Amino acid sequence: MIFNLPDLGEGLAEAEIREWYVKQGDIVKVDQKLLSVETAKAVVDVPSPEAGKIVKLYGNKGDFIKTGAPLVEFEGDNGSVVGKLEASSHVLKEDNVIIGARKNENEFIKVLPAIRALAKQLNIDLNLVKPTGSHGEITEEDVRKSQGSDALHGVRRFMAEAMSYAHQEIAAVTLMDDANITHLSGNADITVAIFQALIHAIKKEPALNAWYDSKTKTRILQHDIHLGLAIDTEEGLFVPVLKDTHQKDAKALRSEIDVFKKSVRDRTVSPNDLKGATITISNFGMFAGRYATPMIVPPQVAILGCGQIRKEVKVVEDKMAICRVAPLSLTFDHRVVTGGEASRFLAAVIHYLESAHD
Amino acid sequence: MPGLKIVAHFEIPYYQILNEAQELVADLPSFAKDPAHLIRLYRLMVLNRLFDAKAIALQRTGKLGTYPSTLGQEAAFVGMGDALSKNDVIVPYYRDVGILIQRGVKLSEILLYWGGDERGNAFANKENFPYSVPVGSQPLHAAGVATAFKIRKEKRAVLTVCGDGGTSEGDFYEAMNVAGVWKLPVVFAVCNNQWAISVPRSEQTAAQTLAQKAIAAGFSGEQVDGNDVIAVRDRVTLALEKAREKSEPTLIEIICYRQNDHTTADDAKRYEKAKVREQEWEKEPIARLRRYLESIKAWSEKEEKELQVTSEAEIEKSVAEYLATPLAPLENMFDYLYATLPESLEEQRELLKQWGNTHG
Amino acid sequence: MAEITLVEAVDLALAYEMQADPSVVILGEDIAKNGGVFRATQGLLDKFGPDRVRDTPLAESMIGGLAIGMAIEGLKPVAEFQFMGFLYPALDQIINHAARIRNRTRGHLSCPVVFRAPFGSGIHAPEHHSESTEALLAHIPGLRVVIPSSPVRAYGLLLASIRDPDPVIFLEPSRLYRFAKQEVEDNGKALPLDKCFTLREGKDITLVTWGAMIKETMAAAEVIVKEGIDVEIIDVATLKPLDMETILSSVEKTGRCVIIHEAPKTGGVGADISAQIAEKALLSLKAPVMRITGYDTIVPYARLEKYYIPSVPQIVDAIKKTMEFA
Repeated sequence: MIFNLPDLGEGLAEAEIREWYVKQGDIVKVDQKLLSVETAKAVVDVPSPEAGKIVKLYGNKGDFIKTGAPLVEFEGDNGSVVGKLEASSHVLKEDNVIIGARKNENEFIKVLPAIRALAKQLNIDLNLVKPTGSHGEITEEDVRKSQGSDALHGVRRFMAEAMSYAHQEIAAVTLMDDANITHLSGNADITVAIFQALIHAIKKEPALNAWYDSKTKTRILQHDIHLGLAIDTEEGLFVPVLKDTHQKDAKALRSEIDVFKKSVRDRTVSPNDLKGATITISNFGMFAGRYATPMIVPPQVAILGCGQIRKEVKVVEDKMAICRVAPLSLTFDHRVVTGGEASRFLAAVIHYLESAHD
Repeated sequence: MPGLKIVAHFEIPYYQILNEAQELVADLPSFAKDPAHLIRLYRLMVLNRLFDAKAIALQRTGKLGTYPSTLGQEAAFVGMGDALSKNDVIVPYYRDVGILIQRGVKLSEILLYWGGDERGNAFANKENFPYSVPVGSQPLHAAGVATAFKIRKEKRAVLTVCGDGGTSEGDFYEAMNVAGVWKLPVVFAVCNNQWAISVPRSEQTAAQTLAQKAIAAGFSGEQVDGNDVIAVRDRVTLALEKAREKSEPTLIEIICYRQNDHTTADDAKRYEKAKVREQEWEKEPIARLRRYLESIKAWSEKEEKELQVTSEAEIEKSVAEYLATPLAPLENMFDYLYATLPESLEEQRELLKQWGNTHG
Repeated sequence: MAEITLVEAVDLALAYEMQADPSVVILGEDIAKNGGVFRATQGLLDKFGPDRVRDTPLAESMIGGLAIGMAIEGLKPVAEFQFMGFLYPALDQIINHAARIRNRTRGHLSCPVVFRAPFGSGIHAPEHHSESTEALLAHIPGLRVVIPSSPVRAYGLLLASIRDPDPVIFLEPSRLYRFAKQEVEDNGKALPLDKCFTLREGKDITLVTWGAMIKETMAAAEVIVKEGIDVEIIDVATLKPLDMETILSSVEKTGRCVIIHEAPKTGGVGADISAQIAEKALLSLKAPVMRITGYDTIVPYARLEKYYIPSVPQIVDAIKKTMEFA
């Protein structure tokens, strides 16, 4: 492309080349000064009309160039009768272009979008629903059936997947200690006491009542305390969630626990009641087991386990005493919770229990 | 005072050899000195006319679709067909029965086409292009073929035909324009039968002749009496030779008269003045040649009768063949769309097989 | 192996095939001496001479009909329409003749023609130069519509189109002509027609696109990948006949699809793809199939031109909404 000497104003017919700022082979930018010329009136710098490589200079210092005559030639041509083609130095790298279709390795879940939405609304995991449709798809009936007993049917499978995931995700550390509950009578509601101890400890150390999103590395401290209570049945492990326990008294807590025990046994517990725990309790020691490393269910960051309450000889005020002891195991997610927070938390639990009354 | 400078002139000649009174008004070309040759042309014209009547009858009895008559135009097409060499290419429009039957196309095939079956224009002779219904679009194909001949340095020519209406189409001029500037071996024949459906020639263009449209494209144009098969045959032969030898195009306007409706779906009484057809019939080509042949003692009533009989027989045979042709397999809809049917169409082809016969 | 642009790849493919096959001829306006207004046919006149590299008079219908006649007669013409917007006068020839001749002569005659044209917007040209009406042609039975999106695919698909025995409309995205370079081996190897190209594998969502919109789609992918969404990108390449097998297989895997095209929405090829996904992959869908397209308006003149085509944020938003649907 040839750039002609533009009209430098006032109808000047020609100009003298004073000095070239560029030479052949240079690559220039738009508006970059190419040369200075002297007209009858002034010395003027001429800017480049485009970006490109200089291929030829029409004239040397001292030469006179007429207005409209060739001044500079740029490399190549625009190659376009209209418009402007955007040229870039971008180099396309296309690795692994696949031509045509490939066989899918995995089977996908076949379900109509409407039924998929229904399942979501009912909180049903489609992975657990057996399809009976004529195209191999999950039907509406399949989904509704799995709401009732069938949801429970898949509980073991769900536990397997959930535990596997938890094990992979969480940096679990367990603190173990005992609470001396000798002062509590045999009829005392230990479970409710532990609930209350937890609520108390959370107020002291809120860090253990939180949800953690590992993808975004965000911890969300939970204001409300929704306690998950692990309940074991023949079908498998259930963790109904007592909502807003920080607002409930012992009586309310006990009554809710009993309702859940029943609904779990009867298989009428709803999926909604199995969601939303901010921290979990596991009384695993019904038959055996003292301490354990209970597993946290993400996105929670802690779980308190209580083993079998037993009589034990302990040192009390420098003397041997027969005590009733509740062995406690606090597993915390060390990605989010510090040892100090966990330790203080457990201390608060123990303190509460040891100062509780029937 | 200096005169007005004229930078271009043009002249359009008109050719006739055997006039309306079957008198020779120009020298007979050598082929026409052989009565046998003229008789061959005569037989073809008679066959064309009888076939035409039969086709119309078939249409009127529901056995043929819309059909465009060639009545009165036999000399134009038979003359053109006789002028073509074997390895010339013909790019017709749709009235060219008289040409096609001289190039291997069967009467039954012609019926099959108008009867609504693609096999009717699957001409075995690949030098025959099929009919062109989009008016005036085919001269461009002829120009393309001629270009191919030129590139391959073959001494061959292309003849393309359209009606007077077709000359108003842009494609017609675009074809002539490129033929002129690229010097293509094409002969553009315009069968001017005075009507484009209901629009008379006078309303088609203000040009005095259709032949002069060639002047605008830079080559010569001429008119020929389309009722004079000798003149038609002669002029088209010369034009084809010029195309083959000199790679120059020509436009030949063949003037005749449409003695029937545009097609069997048309009713010319709505627009054609009553007496004109009868007046034009005085010039019709078959009677003219017959009278000439009789005048040189080359034809008689006996031969006329025989010709009628053999022609009818041939036509009956072809009608029977046509009527006996079963429907093409439904899958043909798919099987000739591409050289190889794309995978994506196989599903639809199966659909056709499943549902095609459920239309009652 | 040279790094060349898309328009250079077109030139290279033409040169290769004209050398290999003497029946290949090219014609169009300004394609001979001038080498084409975009230099797509640069150097071919010198190499192959004026018989096979022909400047035509200015008549698009003529270009169409002439090429058809040449093809039926046994040549392999590659005819150029200077811009897609000027192809329209030749639609009669393309639809009524090129697409039909094999079918109506039951295979006795056929038409191995390639019609090339730059298409699409984004080069700041005057009006009419920015058409993206490929759906008109994809609608016609008997035609193939092929759209390359990279120098490698331009080279390989043009060779395939020339070698194909049936008519092909080869639309070259003008705003990609010089946009990027790519190593193209001049080995005469054709790429397959009637097949999609998966440019990026992913498991969360399938992006289906063609032509210049590959550029915006790739840019959107780069943004969305940072948010942990794994996209699969399919370049349709041959719009007709459509390789639904690849698209369906991908949608079955991901359950989500966004179709991106520059052409106006109504009657665009995206509608056909979407309908076929609904027909055949409904059971895998986790979200509705979205189409992000040009508006149903005339492409604006140069000043507003860039606002017409889907933007990268628009595509990113569509991907996010699709991911968040369920």
